[in-house]
Amino acid sequence: MIEVRFHGRGGQGSVVASRILANAFVRENKFGSAFPMFGFERRGAPVTAYGRFDDEPVLEKTQIYYPDCLIVLDSSQRDSPRVYEGLKPNGILILNSTMGPKDPHENLALVAMADATRIAVEEIGLPAPNTGMLGVFAAATGWIKLASILAGLEDYFDGSRLEGNRRCVQRGFEETKSMRL
Amino acid sequence: MTNRKGGLSKVFDYFCNEDPFAEGLSPCPGCPLELALRLLGKILGSQDLVMTGTPSCSNPVMTGQNVGAWHRLTAYCTLMTGAAANATGLSRQYRRSGQDATVVCFNGDGCAADIGFQALSGAAERGENFIYVCYDNEGYMNTGVQRSGTTPIGAKTATTPVGPKQRGKSTRRKNLPLLMAMHRIPYAATATLSHLEDFAKKLLKAKEKKNEGLAYIHLFAPCPTGWGVPTHQAIEVCRNAVRTNYFPLWEAEKGIFTLTHQVKKPKPIMEYTRLIKKYNHLKEDELERIQEEVDYEYEFLRHLTEFRKCVATKHQTAGE
Amino acid sequence: MNAHARLLGCGKKGMLNMEGTEFNKTKIKVITGNSAAAHGAMLCRPEVLALYPITPQTEVVEEISGFYASGELDAEVVEVEGENSAMNIITAASAAGARAFTATSSYGLVYMYDALLQAAGYRVPIVMVNVNRETPGITAVSSGQQDMISTRDSGWIQIITSSCQEILDSIIMAYRLAEDFDIQVPVMVNYDGFYLSYLAEKVEVPCRADVDGFLAPLKDQPQRPILKPGEPMGFGTHGILEGYLELRYKHSTALERAKVKFDEIDKAFERHFGRSYGGQIDTYRTADADMVLVASGSLSGTAQKVIDLKRDQGLKIGLIRLRMFRPFPRERLIETLRGKKAIGVIDRSICFGWNSGPIYVELRALSPEIGYIPMMSFIDGIANMDVSVANIERMVRILQSASEGDSYQKVTWIGMEEE
Repeated sequence: MIEVRFHGRGGQGSVVASRILANAFVRENKFGSAFPMFGFERRGAPVTAYGRFDDEPVLEKTQIYYPDCLIVLDSSQRDSPRVYEGLKPNGILILNSTMGPKDPHENLALVAMADATRIAVEEIGLPAPNTGMLGVFAAATGWIKLASILAGLEDYFDGSRLEGNRRCVQRGFEETKSMRL
Repeated sequence: MTNRKGGLSKVFDYFCNEDPFAEGLSPCPGCPLELALRLLGKILGSQDLVMTGTPSCSNPVMTGQNVGAWHRLTAYCTLMTGAAANATGLSRQYRRSGQDATVVCFNGDGCAADIGFQALSGAAERGENFIYVCYDNEGYMNTGVQRSGTTPIGAKTATTPVGPKQRGKSTRRKNLPLLMAMHRIPYAATATLSHLEDFAKKLLKAKEKKNEGLAYIHLFAPCPTGWGVPTHQAIEVCRNAVRTNYFPLWEAEKGIFTLTHQVKKPKPIMEYTRLIKKYNHLKEDELERIQEEVDYEYEFLRHLTEFRKCVATKHQTAGE
Repeated sequence: MNAHARLLGCGKKGMLNMEGTEFNKTKIKVITGNSAAAHGAMLCRPEVLALYPITPQTEVVEEISGFYASGELDAEVVEVEGENSAMNIITAASAAGARAFTATSSYGLVYMYDALLQAAGYRVPIVMVNVNRETPGITAVSSGQQDMISTRDSGWIQIITSSCQEILDSIIMAYRLAEDFDIQVPVMVNYDGFYLSYLAEKVEVPCRADVDGFLAPLKDQPQRPILKPGEPMGFGTHGILEGYLELRYKHSTALERAKVKFDEIDKAFERHFGRSYGGQIDTYRTADADMVLVASGSLSGTAQKVIDLKRDQGLKIGLIRLRMFRPFPRERLIETLRGKKAIGVIDRSICFGWNSGPIYVELRALSPEIGYIPMMSFIDGIANMDVSVANIERMVRILQSASEGDSYQKVTWIGMEEE
């Protein structure tokens, strides 16, 4: 089972990103679950979301304490110790930035980055880095096919927004800069 | 409607149906509630009538308990909080299943003005298709005469007694019919049992208008037992309530007000209060205060009836 | 059934099928618990719905409104001004013959309390979703089953679900149960707020034809009394003496019948849709177990994981997932638990006055039949506290030591233990 923890802020689309990823895994005949943990809903508040992906049905409905992978949509949290809590050895960081963490966590093996916010502003006119980050996730981990994420988008967007988000995922995938540690 | 001959009062012309209620109902002697219900049945007819009501004086009349029933009507008994919501549920299902139904939610003022007001206001806002009749006896009579939101200022009840520190109810009544009219529902009206033809007309109008949204009738119904009125004088109390402008008769269609009965020379409030024991303690200055309340409310209403002209002018201007 | 192979509350494998909304095509979707509830309700073709939003249920009413707007749901949808009216509306609509639905949570459930009791007293076969949430004050926007527990003796049937698929399926089963001529009792389908309401996972959304087919037997039964214009009948007129006594007796015995009926409906559901949840209770590796955990709701899946972990370590432990809380599945619990060495009950709520969990208190009442063995109450998961694998492992350790004869404390508030 792959356990992924999302760290973002309200309005960045972390929750939707976690759901699109679960959707993509299900499209590959696998199982996935995703759920957010937040207090009162408001824009700008820190948001944590959890994603579990497996070949077998996912039974746990708890928070993730030992993630395999972190998706950090809010680059201001990149050096926050809270974000790296419980990260497993050989951990992966998917970061919405052009700049990696100052002092990478000891369990980090791979840091993959793209400026997903800029991509989103250019493609959909909104600072919503969520879909671009999924492109980075697909490129860096190889756990999911790019095509599955692209297909999954249509359950969450339509019209020009769908097209724009497809371009975000595609560009996130292509513009990924990976760094082995 | 054709007029009958033979000196009968005109209200009989509206009695198109059999009285669905049995003889010997259970209200207290002289209670106008029984008259109101019988009229309602005879005027609206029992063919498609569905009554709903709550724990109140009307409840034993409408439903009976366990085995007995004193009418040939479809009746649904419910709780005071959600009376209007229950009428909503019934009328929605009848609408959906294509059954003709006149759902009448028949409740006291405690339900309509107090505990069930939210549901009533919600139903008005949503434009539910039923008739809501509030029979206003100005308090919780069934539980033994306690004050409600429509108990008027100065009135003595079990919870607003008269003593050195309290002189009956200290705050004014909630003007519920006005509140309902302010929802701009298709039909809101006041009625009472001294003016039966007026009541009958309003019932028929409500039945027609309820197809467009909620129709509301506020029925002034004195309680001989709770108010201290001789059993033969309840209707006289109704009449004097109208004559003193204490309870003016009006109707409002989508917020356009009309007086349905003009009182040319209103009598002083004393003419009304003197018939009722709950006002026995009132001194002159207290009566004056009540008169002020009556005058204010009537004047307010009169201004509302003039609003029609403003709207008409505006529409004309817009048309030009 | 091979208990080891069973996965509690999980659908079959299948690929996402994104073709149009066809009448006879099952679709695989990735949706939240709330969305699953909305889908389940919509598929049962309710005729009157009353909807009022409350966190964490809001998505249910939003999605149903969406189904109405898109034409997928052909019904009277009342955007009501509060939960009290919502319950009154669907009660009366049901009395007038409608299939009715509403959804609520927490204070919404409590706000409709008078109407909730009336609905049970009127024996209207309505179905309501309750998304479990705490109730100690306005800021408690957090998980917990206290809301459901507070309505325990209302006379409703209460079902607790633990996955998005099970939410959807249970609503369909709930209509079969509520509207069964032998039952005629309202059914409340519960699921955890936050941990299930917002959790998105794979859900097989049955096609309309299949759901229509499953609910079809309801049409072949005798007609229940319905309030119609022009057909004089008094509804809700009982209230005193013998008439009322008889009514209460019949209501209570209907709940007794509901237990076996629910098992039968579960079997019928399996024949129809290929999914089964065990009826009143779902058991996992209990047959040869010495110790048994009793759980309900979303934490059951995590508990199942822990059972596997402990079994791998050689511990003979099993799990009972309580699916029906009212009526309480006494017979099946006794049958499963008789002869065990220790029982641990996880409650996501509190039985005040007993300082323990409510499900625990109910199980203790079965001691004469089960045997006087160590029985422990674990309170966890209230106030959005996460019932983690580590927490359940801790419970198992306590349980194990008690089963070996060590002295034990009857009630443990996880997170409040003295070190």
